[in-house]
Amino acid sequence: MADPIATPPASAAAAPAPPTNLISLKIDGKAVTVPRGTNVLEAAKTAGIDISYFCYHPGLSAPAVCRQCLVDVKGQPKLVPSCYTPVAENMEVVTDSEKVLVARQQMLEFTLVNHPVDCPICDKAGECTLQKMYDEWDGGGSRTDVPKREKPKAVDLGPTIMLDAERCILCSRCIRVCDEVAGKHQLTMSIRGDREQISVAPGQQLDNPYSLNTVDVCPVGALTSKDFRFQMRAWELEKVDSVCPGCATGCNIEVHASKGRVYRMVPRENLAVNKYWMCDEGRLTYHALTKGRQAVATMRGTPATMDKAIAFASDRLASVIQSAGPGVVGVLLNAQTTNEDNYALAKLALALGTDRLFIGGHTLVPERQDKILMSADVNPNTAGLRAIVDALAPGKAKSYAQARADVAAGSLKVLIALGDQSEVGVEGQAELGKLELFISMSSWQSPVSELAHVTFPVAAWAELDGTFTNNKGMVQRVRRSIEPVGDARPAWEIVRDLGKRLNAPLAYPTVKMLFKEMTGAVAGFANAQFGRDSLPVLLRFAGSRG
Amino acid sequence: MADTNVPPTARKMVIGLQDVSDMAAASSSDRADKGFDTDEEDDELPTEPMTLNMGPSHPATHGTVRIVLTVEGETIKDADVQVGYLHRAFEKESEHATYTQIFPYTDRLNYVSPMLNNVGYALAVEKLLGIVEDVPERAQYIRVIVGELARMADHMTCMAAGAMELGAMTIYFWAIKGREWIWEILEEISGARMTHSYVRVGGVAYDIHESIPGKIKALYPKLEVILSDIRQALYENRIFRDRMDGIGVFSKENALSYGWTGVSLRSTGVPYDVRKDHPYLVYDRMNFSVPVGEKGDNFDRYILRMEETYQSMKILLQCFEQIPAGPVVVDDPRIVLPPKQAVYNTIESMIAHFKIIVDGVKVPPGEIYSYTEAGNGELGFYIVSDGTGRPARLRCRPPCFLITSALREMIVGGSIADIVPTFDMMNMIGGECDR
Repeated sequence: MADPIATPPASAAAAPAPPTNLISLKIDGKAVTVPRGTNVLEAAKTAGIDISYFCYHPGLSAPAVCRQCLVDVKGQPKLVPSCYTPVAENMEVVTDSEKVLVARQQMLEFTLVNHPVDCPICDKAGECTLQKMYDEWDGGGSRTDVPKREKPKAVDLGPTIMLDAERCILCSRCIRVCDEVAGKHQLTMSIRGDREQISVAPGQQLDNPYSLNTVDVCPVGALTSKDFRFQMRAWELEKVDSVCPGCATGCNIEVHASKGRVYRMVPRENLAVNKYWMCDEGRLTYHALTKGRQAVATMRGTPATMDKAIAFASDRLASVIQSAGPGVVGVLLNAQTTNEDNYALAKLALALGTDRLFIGGHTLVPERQDKILMSADVNPNTAGLRAIVDALAPGKAKSYAQARADVAAGSLKVLIALGDQSEVGVEGQAELGKLELFISMSSWQSPVSELAHVTFPVAAWAELDGTFTNNKGMVQRVRRSIEPVGDARPAWEIVRDLGKRLNAPLAYPTVKMLFKEMTGAVAGFANAQFGRDSLPVLLRFAGSRG
Repeated sequence: MADTNVPPTARKMVIGLQDVSDMAAASSSDRADKGFDTDEEDDELPTEPMTLNMGPSHPATHGTVRIVLTVEGETIKDADVQVGYLHRAFEKESEHATYTQIFPYTDRLNYVSPMLNNVGYALAVEKLLGIVEDVPERAQYIRVIVGELARMADHMTCMAAGAMELGAMTIYFWAIKGREWIWEILEEISGARMTHSYVRVGGVAYDIHESIPGKIKALYPKLEVILSDIRQALYENRIFRDRMDGIGVFSKENALSYGWTGVSLRSTGVPYDVRKDHPYLVYDRMNFSVPVGEKGDNFDRYILRMEETYQSMKILLQCFEQIPAGPVVVDDPRIVLPPKQAVYNTIESMIAHFKIIVDGVKVPPGEIYSYTEAGNGELGFYIVSDGTGRPARLRCRPPCFLITSALREMIVGGSIADIVPTFDMMNMIGGECDR
């Protein structure tokens, strides 16, 4: 990012003539200039003009099946679907004439004819596009006096999705998500007329790794996530913008939580990373936040207060350093935790006089790799950790296997381990048991943390503010959406308090100041921004969904 | 009362109706006879200022207010009036509630006349929605009816408490009995005795029963008996007059500079009444007068409340004659909940209901200040909308907050006993003042 002060703002007069691939047209009398190939609906959006639609999605092809986005184009005898009509030079579009508004209202009335009165029991209520469109463009009462068409409810489409065919408005978005994003043709329309419904072929199921995106794009409550359905009313949730911790891709997400509990993660638009999507596996990572957590500090397996544990750990550390020198101390950094936590711990090691940095993290899962979003590297911060050790101790960082070898050889007597080492097998336990002092800072209990002399409960990714660096080198912000469990605190705070007692002070009152220092010290982070803190927004008032 | 150094009322109370100077002279001659030094200078006991808490829990501080007094003997040298003990973050809470959900909060502003707060708030939202003219006439008349009933209840409560705290317990029971009759009517209209939440954006929750005007009219003779009894009992009562008349005097200029409104401002002679000067609802069709005081003292404020109660009764009678039949809410599915029958049976009304309940009534972006005449004066609501179903900012102008801000100036220099009637007659209501 260039220095904003160095770049003079481009004034209208100084702007160069628009290149020829731009098209100028008029929408509701407003002059709009957009690139060639843009459809009228997107062009109207740039002018702040709202056109209702169900089947269109900016990340998918436009089939123009819902007929909700009809607009009047001068010279055309009939109304045209704006999602399917590319802009043309000097086109004149009207989106708010009586004719268009009546068409819009009547299409809604038509869509609602067979829609069940399900809002009170529907998972989508509160974030439903159909509700929103009715509220904005219809508002009228019912004129039907025939019974509604009955269709199957609670159809099991696969391991993740349930279908309620009555609620479906046949927009075909889910079919296109499977076709165009996941690359698997698993859904289709079957039967015809008013019996038409979404279905999978007999014997098949909707089981692609991106299947839950169909729930996001579904404008009604037809497709519901088995994971989320009947768990929580959507409008009671509070959203916080964050980043998925599932793999090195770093999909942008919204964390939806309520009263200290995360209920779901949904993708957030970022065209540079994940566009509008995320994988099912990443979506379900939030379950780990409530499973097997380390909630209190322990000293030799006995629960202790944080203050006592910090005093105990620092005293032991100081006595070992005094007797054996700082060279026997090593720190295990972790690609599972944030840049800030790793940076603070690496700085502590250097301040203590040792440069024995080891790199930990989960092992690669090659079969996971695909060409869409999923990466074989299931650590969210591999690139960030590498940048930090390259900047602070170039060429010094070793692997976790090396650490275990050093322990076995007796040259490493103290290990301060950051993050989750639950994947370390039995062979690792035997070696770590030989450590003179093993300090574990982890969010989760594991066989390894049971070996530790001192364990500190650490806030997990949804409970802290910090950054992850994804595999494209983008430093992305993780935001706190719930309170940490038990006594847990961000690891950098524990490291700071340890340092204070060891006369190796790390002066970071806030994570933001830590980040600022880090961007100055780590070359790869030079242009990174911490971004603004965002308070949780109640979805009912956010107006962002549906 | 000419002697400004000696608090006159207190002394008069002790010695009854006898002439003050005679007694003073007699007492000093007595003391001279007994060989005391009668020099006036040495007669005073040496005193030093004393700090005294009045409130926050004091029988005469309705709601809760704390006055830290610096007294020298009985004379108040300084007073620090501390409000806020009933702060409920009304304004901040409102930013997290839909426009409809705020009505119960407004009930708890001036909790003696909740209907007036309901009406004032509804008018502000309607002004921002641009539907003030669309509210059906019947709803506007109903709002005037419930509002004036609430005003009568408010004034009678103030008269009752004002007299009681000067010792007239009987008056309290008379006036509160009358207020209870009025609240019974309001309960019959709204379902709740005190926290009505009866008004809605776009009208009122439901129509009043056809028997209500008759019941109110039947109340009139009984209320008039109460009011005339109070007049007879108090207006010529020496104790009452001595503690009210000429006490808590505030000038017109001061009152205006402090932002006084309502009865308190009118007692100083300024005939400002929002109902007359900036008519809202159907007040421009009502024939009523705005009484003003002469001296700006407590007694003026007392008799103004009495008089305004009669004026409210007069307005009610006109409403009963003029009120037309018809709907009581605007006809707009985005503002008013559809009928339950339709909600349970059609998806359209279900969605409309759902959207109003969950998202709230969507108010176009903008800001508005709307003001009405409440029990204590100009009750204003300033609302900023960002287009969602809840206000981005809601500011309430509580009339008695501005009136209470003058309390220090009114009581310093007087005696402790004067605080009670002065504080009573400015009618500080904690719920409204502290919000």
